[in-house]
Amino acid sequence: MAEEKTSGVQARESFAREAMVHLDHLYRVAFHLAKDRDETEDLVQETFVRALASYEQFTPGSNMKAWLTRILYNFFFDRYQQKRRWISTEAPAEGQSDYWERTPSENPGPERHALLKELSGQIADVLRKIPEEFRAPIVLVDMGDFSYEEAAEILSCPIGTIRSRLSRGRRLLYRHLERYVGIKRRV
Amino acid sequence: MNCAEARELITALVDHELHGSERSQLESHLKDCARCQSILAQEQLLKREVHAEGAKLHAPADLKEKILSDRRIFPEQAEIPRRWTSRGWLADYVLRPAVVAAVLLIVGLPSLYLLNQRSQPISLAALETYSPFLRGDFPMITAQSADEIKEQLMRAAGGNFEPMGYDLSAMNLEPVAGAVREMKGRKVLIAIYQGQGLSLICYTFLGTEEDAPANAAVFFDPGKKMNFYAFSQGGINVVFHREGGVICILASQMPMQDLLALARAHARPA
Repeated sequence: MAEEKTSGVQARESFAREAMVHLDHLYRVAFHLAKDRDETEDLVQETFVRALASYEQFTPGSNMKAWLTRILYNFFFDRYQQKRRWISTEAPAEGQSDYWERTPSENPGPERHALLKELSGQIADVLRKIPEEFRAPIVLVDMGDFSYEEAAEILSCPIGTIRSRLSRGRRLLYRHLERYVGIKRRV
Repeated sequence: MNCAEARELITALVDHELHGSERSQLESHLKDCARCQSILAQEQLLKREVHAEGAKLHAPADLKEKILSDRRIFPEQAEIPRRWTSRGWLADYVLRPAVVAAVLLIVGLPSLYLLNQRSQPISLAALETYSPFLRGDFPMITAQSADEIKEQLMRAAGGNFEPMGYDLSAMNLEPVAGAVREMKGRKVLIAIYQGQGLSLICYTFLGTEEDAPANAAVFFDPGKKMNFYAFSQGGINVVFHREGGVICILASQMPMQDLLALARAHARPA
């Protein structure tokens, strides 16, 4: 009996240490979901608490990073989001002229290079301006390196939704960042 | 296919998620559409920038401390040992009968055996090169990319085996150099990772678990069904494991629990 208890404690601790490998990743996802640093840290810490409370449900050898991310995302909605998921508040109107209708400058020149340097500093701010439904797939796929299938599993939605939200989300992102990437309108 | 229909498919192509007929249809459209080619390039650039932005963000040290000291997460310990050599860790392991027996066995061995360099396991011989490599005392292969380093090391090993090639970018560690050395009659491939003031060396060679030092602590990962051997020497923490007939040794000054978690996360069962 005592051996079983020790073994259980070791397995739990071992799981916790393995989960710690994904701390930076979870922090990144939380950072782009939450509204401030306190909320971000709260999200990450509570994710670990919830994960450890149900670590026996994790299948060894499966994708721990995705499993933890799903816990984080569910917790985010439980605590901070009372509205239903996947309701668009700022979807770009179809047919509206956007970056798809423009082409990049053939010769960007030194000014564009300077703006490109500023671009990275703007991305985090701009991501916050994008509705969560478009932001989440960008954070999971572009920052978290998840496949569409994994992102769909985490966000509990069809794979096709991930693809369309990513496409529209990137258009929104681009619209906010166009000054930094030096595109010009088609003549 | 028209440009409007191509929009979502371009996104999927950028993400390597487009296959079969959709992919061939889009590729056919792209051949004749300069505008969609530009859109593809723009979206690739945007994805790269967003990815780079994400990679710059790391959990603050105080959050890590908060989690490590949260009893809801680590209930059995008031304090997590920060170093492998810390008192807490020693207390945990030294009291185990198997460890006591191992220590007694080692102490009881003839001193001549201990002094004989030739009896030193290859894993410890490899570890002796850790500091010289980081100081730049030994010649190293440098290259433009991680793939180039891997290719050169593979060539040096005569194609018999290859370096582990772990992607440690999530820890901000990037491969910066490589080397090949003959140790105990075996070729050892050495990949040096660095980033954010941290260094890690990955040693790869053909061998068995017998190559682990006798006094290493053994951890069995039930998920991967693999043994991980952990030991410290001269302030350097080491995790040793086997993938088929290839041994991988990760050596770093990072805390042992982090190094062990890193090895377990990346190890591939044979």
